[in-house]
Amino acid sequence: MGKLTIGCFPGLVGNMSYDFALKLAEAAKDKGHDVDVWFSGNATGSIAAGQKHLKDYSTAEQHLTRLMEKGVKFCTCEACSVARGVKKDSSIEGVIWNAMHWYLGSIHGADRVLQIGGE
Amino acid sequence: MKLGVFVSDFELTNDTLDRVGPDGVILVANGVYHASLKTDGKASPLLSKYSSLYVLSEDLETRGIDAATVDSKVKVVDYSGLVDVIFNEFEKIAWL
Repeated sequence: MGKLTIGCFPGLVGNMSYDFALKLAEAAKDKGHDVDVWFSGNATGSIAAGQKHLKDYSTAEQHLTRLMEKGVKFCTCEACSVARGVKKDSSIEGVIWNAMHWYLGSIHGADRVLQIGGE
Repeated sequence: MKLGVFVSDFELTNDTLDRVGPDGVILVANGVYHASLKTDGKASPLLSKYSSLYVLSEDLETRGIDAATVDSKVKVVDYSGLVDVIFNEFEKIAWL
């Protein structure tokens, strides 16, 4: 088994690239790989707790929580998060808050890296 | 180094792909149109440039594209198959 690190920059609502990142993370974890996901840019908006789950829009809280229970690690860029008004005490429990060096460290130990750019 | 590139757009990536020069292409999101859509009766030029071609089945279904219409050069994979492609077919991967 290997390790996949995904850098996810696109925003949340209605964004298929964001959905892709989570679905790929889940598929890799289900096959026994280690998976790290780094949120940066507008993707950091997806770690806010208490998201309303609308029928026609993708939301992340339930999916993120399920993936963390499976062992996927999520880390958000602290600077990107606070710049968007996301506060640590009102974010999804279990998401790591850190800086770019966390992403670089994860990349260093990964067998495969996929960076999905923002919009 | 064997490089696989995710192509997530239909119109804007051909020039970039030529410069990157990947060994294979994985079609996702709006990039899946390359696998099936014909322009003036011709298949996407992308399909004749690379020997390793994959398309994500879920993104075909999302767009109402029948997997049976996918060009025979392209292998249809689900998310689980995509993970195997990432780990077994390529050493590096990139996203366009």
